[in-house]
Amino acid sequence: MQRQRSLLILILVLIIAAFTVIATIPIPLGLDLRGGSQLTIQVKPSAEIPKITERELEGVKRVVEGRINGLGVSEPVIQTVGSDKILVQLPGVNDPEQAERVLGGTAQLEFRTQKPNTETQLLAFQASRAELKAKQEELRKSTDKAAIAKNQEDLQKNNQAIAELFESTNPPLSGKYLKDAYGEPTQGKNWHVTIRFDQKGGELFANLTKNLAGTGRAIGVFLDNELISAPSVGIEFAAAGITGGSAIITGRFTAQEANDLGVQLRGGALPVPVEIAERRTVGATLGKDSIQSSIYAGVGGLTLVLIFMVVYYRLPGLIADVSLVIYSLLTWATFALLGVTLTLPGIAGFILSIGMAVDANVLIFERTREELRAGKSLYRSVESGFYRAFSSILDSNVTTWIACAALFWLGSGLVKGFALTLALGVAVSMFTAITCSRTLLFLAISIPSLRKTELFCPNLPTSNKAEVTP
Amino acid sequence: MKLSINKSRSLWWTISAAIILAGIISMVISWQQPNIHAPLRPGLDFIGGTRLQFVRDCTKPGNCDKPININAVREVAKAQGLGDSSIQLISENGAENGVLIRTKDLTVDQRTKLQNSLSEEIGVFDPQKNQIDSVGPTLGKELLRSGLLALIVSFIGITIYMSFRFQLDYAVFAIVALFHDILITVGAFSILGLVAGIEVDSLFIVALLTITGFSVNDTVVIYDRIRETIKINPEHPIAEIVDDAVNQTLTRSINTTLTVLLTLTSIFLFGGETLRYFALALIIGFTMGAYSSIFIASTLLTWWRERDESQVVESVEPIDTSASSQDS
Repeated sequence: MQRQRSLLILILVLIIAAFTVIATIPIPLGLDLRGGSQLTIQVKPSAEIPKITERELEGVKRVVEGRINGLGVSEPVIQTVGSDKILVQLPGVNDPEQAERVLGGTAQLEFRTQKPNTETQLLAFQASRAELKAKQEELRKSTDKAAIAKNQEDLQKNNQAIAELFESTNPPLSGKYLKDAYGEPTQGKNWHVTIRFDQKGGELFANLTKNLAGTGRAIGVFLDNELISAPSVGIEFAAAGITGGSAIITGRFTAQEANDLGVQLRGGALPVPVEIAERRTVGATLGKDSIQSSIYAGVGGLTLVLIFMVVYYRLPGLIADVSLVIYSLLTWATFALLGVTLTLPGIAGFILSIGMAVDANVLIFERTREELRAGKSLYRSVESGFYRAFSSILDSNVTTWIACAALFWLGSGLVKGFALTLALGVAVSMFTAITCSRTLLFLAISIPSLRKTELFCPNLPTSNKAEVTP
Repeated sequence: MKLSINKSRSLWWTISAAIILAGIISMVISWQQPNIHAPLRPGLDFIGGTRLQFVRDCTKPGNCDKPININAVREVAKAQGLGDSSIQLISENGAENGVLIRTKDLTVDQRTKLQNSLSEEIGVFDPQKNQIDSVGPTLGKELLRSGLLALIVSFIGITIYMSFRFQLDYAVFAIVALFHDILITVGAFSILGLVAGIEVDSLFIVALLTITGFSVNDTVVIYDRIRETIKINPEHPIAEIVDDAVNQTLTRSINTTLTVLLTLTSIFLFGGETLRYFALALIIGFTMGAYSSIFIASTLLTWWRERDESQVVESVEPIDTSASSQDS
């Protein structure tokens, strides 16, 4: 009895914890439920880059991030998928045209020269830009669309103003001449960014630096027409410029900042074509309708199952129902804890797992009935029902997990969500259908008025009715 | 009432073979259709293309007065070189206020152009209800490949697990039963594709994998009972043991399938358009899963073990029977 009591306490604690989790952590809804656009960007190999590696993908991702920030969307999700794809989710965007246009192009990196006598202007613009950027960070956490749009507009104006302080060289020194860029540690704590050009780029760069050396004017490094760095050139290069095709951008970079700039430069320098391989847009109202219908489906399905169990299995059925409700609570809380994003197939997986969670209890109760018919006592029958059904339950669940693992490993976004929710559901059901049901059933048996075999197995031949021995 | 499944096993095998054959015939016919050219009618996910769903905004006065003229929609599509697109009217709240257009993969500009001219022709659309899906052809192939790979991997995984927990012949027949369920489900959707134009998308592959898990699930329970009975009564004839095991687990098989079908029917009826055919695939597959566990996997196992037993009787020196059965 001691063990039963502590299990009962554990179940109670879990239920309370589940309620707390459900109340405090909301489950994020997938785009198919809240509306918005999802784009899959395919990075394609080119003549210069025959194979896409993680390094290239990271660079392109950074470019994409920069462009998304330029769109002013709240809570965007940008992640790399597989070895050559980037997934972009733009919640709330019903009209993805702009996003598609902006995201589809190859990144434009360019080194430009600062126009004379614009030093103070540049400093002022840079300061206000830093402010706007900080505000943007803050705003992105909110959903104030008007404020985001306003901030975006200001930033664009600012970018434009900065861009006007610079001019292209002739011919332009664009990203296609840049071979590589990466952060490297200098002596001490500081880091710098090394950049390497090809031969033609080296010549152009030498020219550019010769003109700027010692003037105090900066090289404008622009990515998609936005200034990402503005280093200046020392007077010692006034004679010939920086020759040899490689240069170092120094500054008080931390390791993080240096790597960041390196990645940005690489992303912009790579002539890797990108293509939007997939786009899915769901209108907000349509998503809301989907939630509504899936709630109907869930509640409808669950109710039918609950009714069936009580009608067929009587008292154990009622207890299985309690376990099933606990199951739903715990699974929901697990989703919230693990940050599972709820999608339409995910909901289907959840509803389906409710139907399947009953299986373990059905197995157990059928066993119990068999034992009762064989003339065993109620207590022994319940006990061996749980004991003997276990290997079937375990084996059948393991096979489901194997299928889920295959889905999770090889599937894409939506499919992964389904596999995860189904696998979690099966795991939680092992606990609720076995431990919860068992504890509650033994608790019920300890109440004398519930200790009637009719409540467990109707139509039992009278000769087989056994006295209850606790 | 006792079901002796082994007595009439040739009947069960014939029924299954007939259903599977019907599916295969449908797949062959489907393959020869120039507009399908695949065993199943592949959806957007696999062949790529653009699917546009627009619904008129009926809150605007006069916008929904006239019913949508589908021929006008066709004309608009034709004018933009999209004459071979499939166009359907869709109803919302009883009135046909939406169009569903399926075309080849469109660029942003092509799409915007189509949307604008459609809007001019039939009324203003509500952007909140738009659904636009576009999949490039390469991605579709990849989805199909990874889906099939997932299916094969889980088959292998399950075979290994089952032969480890039971024996190799149990595992092999469980997989046979599994193929049976998958084949019938695929066949059914091939027929549906031919007759009702229903397409399969990536959720269909998910459905097949779920059926895999569930079908084996059911078989395992019966196998578990067979193994248990063999342990208690090793001298009983295998047909009797299997019959008993099936009968003892029959109520459970029916009840479990019933509860799952209850939730699936609920998804089918109320779960919305996206999940409808997913639920249908599961309903077919799960029903077949229960059927094949009882009538196919068990009877095949009996048949195999009986062959085994007779071999033991025939051979002068009964040696390792499980091994000898493999290479005969």
